[in-house]
Amino acid sequence: MANFNLKQRVIECKIVYYGPGRGGKTTNLEYVFKAFRKYTSGDMVSIDTKGDRTLFFDFLPMGLGKIRGCDVMLQLYTVPGQQKYSSTRKMVLKGVDGVVFVADSLEVRRKANLLSLKDLQQNLKEMNLSIFKLPLVVQYNKRDLAEEGMPIMSEEQMEQDLNSKLKVPSFTASALKGDGVWPTLKECIKLTMINLNKELKWAG
Amino acid sequence: MSEKEAIKSLIKQGELYFKQSLLNQSKEAYQKALELIESNEKLPNREKLIQVIQGKIKVVEENLNELEAEPDQPELSEELQKLIQKRFAFSKNEETAAFEGAMALAKFGQYEQALEEFHKLLKKGVMPLVAAKNIITCMLTYASPDAAIAQYIQWTSQDVLSKPQLNQVRVYLKSLLEKKGMKAELPPVIKPKKGEEEEEEAVIDISSITMTIPEGPRKGETIELDVSFQMDNNISVVIAADQKDLLKSLKTGTRLTDIQCYSPIGFFNGSGMVLGRTQIQEGPKKGDYLLDIAIDAG
Repeated sequence: MANFNLKQRVIECKIVYYGPGRGGKTTNLEYVFKAFRKYTSGDMVSIDTKGDRTLFFDFLPMGLGKIRGCDVMLQLYTVPGQQKYSSTRKMVLKGVDGVVFVADSLEVRRKANLLSLKDLQQNLKEMNLSIFKLPLVVQYNKRDLAEEGMPIMSEEQMEQDLNSKLKVPSFTASALKGDGVWPTLKECIKLTMINLNKELKWAG
Repeated sequence: MSEKEAIKSLIKQGELYFKQSLLNQSKEAYQKALELIESNEKLPNREKLIQVIQGKIKVVEENLNELEAEPDQPELSEELQKLIQKRFAFSKNEETAAFEGAMALAKFGQYEQALEEFHKLLKKGVMPLVAAKNIITCMLTYASPDAAIAQYIQWTSQDVLSKPQLNQVRVYLKSLLEKKGMKAELPPVIKPKKGEEEEEEAVIDISSITMTIPEGPRKGETIELDVSFQMDNNISVVIAADQKDLLKSLKTGTRLTDIQCYSPIGFFNGSGMVLGRTQIQEGPKKGDYLLDIAIDAG
């Protein structure tokens, strides 16, 4: 839940990048950090392994400026995607206001996508949050791998697999190149702000 | 696709999966390629190809082994530990936030620093029983059962914990040791006087509750409510004035048999009863209702 400092008119909210391991969550954040420096309010912190796998989380603080008289501070996090880090994912999800689900377009990762989405739903449920109510955006990442002849899933198939019930905004992306990264985050920020305004009613 | 093309494609997949750090998928692609090569005796340069693919599989396996050997929870820098403490403490209450920060350190495997923080809290007298129990848990995970036992014995000769608290720590440690299949002789603490036993329970802060509505128009629905005030086992939660059906469901005297209470030390199940409600007369929540609930079992 966002932190609203009424006196100082500051809202701090938290967006978490969720998804299977090696799906491109950290790459999304790295691109945001590189390309939108003017919005970042501190360095990006990554706690990863030798193999560049996220171990605990990545963290990137951003300042979006004033929205209807309130300074909006954004905290972007990624979770470790590997299955064994379940308790860490729960920790990172605590206090979440919006989620970007980064799915891997590679055919071999189809099952991993489904398992991760199920894991997200379960972890939210344990926090008494519903995946159907929380601001959520789905990203189909690694679309560029098709150019290298890699077997990837069609957008329609991914939509059917992951978004047929959720019916949330979805975006194709190649995080490594930066394609689709900002539209994904922008939509998640928008949904999060609308939702927070319903709860906090600061913008009328 | 000819067999030759299939082999080529599998090798390319193996290479790209390797680049993506999808090591199992990479190994699988190389193994499929190897099987195809081995089954085709007419393939030119067959022996050399087999050697090359086996070499690639070996490299993938080495990477997999390296990953396997990496510690799940390495010791982080002081800066990162401070970040964890700050970012994973959500309470506005300073002491509760300090507790949450220490808990987060422990959950991220930073036991040494977590222990230091819990010791500080214990010294300050902030939720001493909870701090002591967490110290015991950390020591059992990070150090050894002997270290946890030694810590308990040390406390028995100090005055950081009251006798009832020490008794509870003793029971807690004993149960943890038993779970590990160990039987330890822990020096007993003098039996507390009647009434002293409940001393610590009032200290546990409940930050929020979830409960299943037992009757009325929203019967069976699970709701989450933040706790606004707490005095001993009585809590107050705010219900918006427009939630009329919820107010109808939670009349004075309603028994709540399924409540989960969230506190900095985790959550516990309980039950309770609606004591009453009052309408808020002033401030930003003017018009909303303050619902008082007595929590009577944990």
